[in-house]
Amino acid sequence: MIGGGAAGLGAAGGVKAADPGAEVIVYTEFEDVAYSPCGIPYVHGGEIPDFERLFLAGKQAYVDAGIDVRYETAVTAIDPAAHTVTVAGEGAVRYDSLVIATGWNYADPGVPGGDLSGLYYVKNIRKAMEWDKVISETKAAVVVEAGPLGLEMVTALAHRGVETHLIDPNPYALSMMADPDIMAPVEESWRELGVHLHFNTTLEEFLGDADGKVRAVRTSGGEITADLVVISTHKTPETALAKAAGLDLGSTGAIIVDERMKTSAPDVWAAGDVVEIPHGLTRTPLQGLTGSHAYAQGKTAGTNAGGGDRAYRAVYVPWGTPAGKWVIGGASFGEATATALGIPYVKGEAQGISRARYYPGVQPVKVKLLAEPGTLRLIGAQMIGGGEGIKERADFLAQAIRFGMTLHDLSTMENVYSPAIGALNEPIVVAATNGVAAAKAK
Amino acid sequence: MASFFGWLRSNSEHYLLVAAHQKLARTLGSPPPRPPKGLKELFWLRVFAPVYALLPWPVRSRIMRAMPGSHRQTWAPPPRSRGPAV
Repeated sequence: MIGGGAAGLGAAGGVKAADPGAEVIVYTEFEDVAYSPCGIPYVHGGEIPDFERLFLAGKQAYVDAGIDVRYETAVTAIDPAAHTVTVAGEGAVRYDSLVIATGWNYADPGVPGGDLSGLYYVKNIRKAMEWDKVISETKAAVVVEAGPLGLEMVTALAHRGVETHLIDPNPYALSMMADPDIMAPVEESWRELGVHLHFNTTLEEFLGDADGKVRAVRTSGGEITADLVVISTHKTPETALAKAAGLDLGSTGAIIVDERMKTSAPDVWAAGDVVEIPHGLTRTPLQGLTGSHAYAQGKTAGTNAGGGDRAYRAVYVPWGTPAGKWVIGGASFGEATATALGIPYVKGEAQGISRARYYPGVQPVKVKLLAEPGTLRLIGAQMIGGGEGIKERADFLAQAIRFGMTLHDLSTMENVYSPAIGALNEPIVVAATNGVAAAKAK
Repeated sequence: MASFFGWLRSNSEHYLLVAAHQKLARTLGSPPPRPPKGLKELFWLRVFAPVYALLPWPVRSRIMRAMPGSHRQTWAPPPRSRGPAV
């Protein structure tokens, strides 16, 4: 395995499951494996008390499992014809099967000043521990781009009492996947936290002081003073090794794989953010999914690399995250993405509640469902709520899309009712019923 | 060739989304994107996006499926509904 993230370790486990006697080596350039990088913003924000909690397994656990993890060890080349990888300090190492799980990098912001100190790319846990001390001394910060990690870091910095600015070239946050009406309450809650939002604003330059430390960013809307800049540009696949080895790459720039996670090279598999996976509805390839996708792909790649047989499926992309005081989520297409692709849809919306209206802690839940005109087959959903049930609804709705459920099915579905955990009127049912009515009215 | 398709995809994806934001701003009353600047943005937003919008979905879908990528490898077809369980 090249890479010790969710995909690499999932693959290592997959090989061992398929062939317990296999010799498994994981190369990672980092000091650690088996921690959750996705948890870093929540430690910065104070919701998780320390970084130690992000470690899911100790180094001994891999020794015990018979997996040889080689830390801080770079793989510099792959030779698929010779079945070897070149490893720093080890030379050419032969493999029977290889899994590439090299992950992703942030897209280069592409503006002057990228070499200044004070630019924080959230990824590595050891660096995050150092940056956490920097955040403690930070008065003002700029977050560049409102992608998923940007959302989490804006909230985290605001919770830490840092004067936080968000700049994004689009008209609203998370605009590459979410809809503006879903994000509007999130933006309002950020403003309540004191966050300064700069949409339709392009980054032009990082400005430094005499010591080479960032002091401000220059944008299309003017200069913003900041002693810390968090870069959360989109994920790009880390394909340098694969590209140099001649593996086929797709239109996303990621490695082309089949359902067994096999690449174009013999005995080479790949998984995680370095590959592209087709969307279940359009079959258009996607790259840069979530850790759960990476882990499942890794298990598939490892199982097959170990001589087993396992298939991965096209994705319907359930997603969700806390943002400001809300939790947002969805599955497959929202209005923005469906409109961009030119996919026609009918819409059903409802504003509901998470539990009985009289039960303490009841929270709002807004559900928006998109369906194919005519058949009313579900093609997407987006939601915002106070927290409870958003993730579970996104998971369920992704399955509903996958198995071709319609608004008719959802409008007549059964739902749990118990005052403390569920409302009499499930918001999905109400949204679907409204969608059926809207379709009839057209 | 992959880099050409990468360039085409990245630009079309970005500007089709900007065009969608313009449309949603009109229908939902949400904040609109900034107006296009320069020849590149004018081309993608005033020429490419409207031409793309004129093509029927089956044609657009066929073009996207013709591009190189993982979607052209072996993948199980989507599950079909099988009727009642009992």
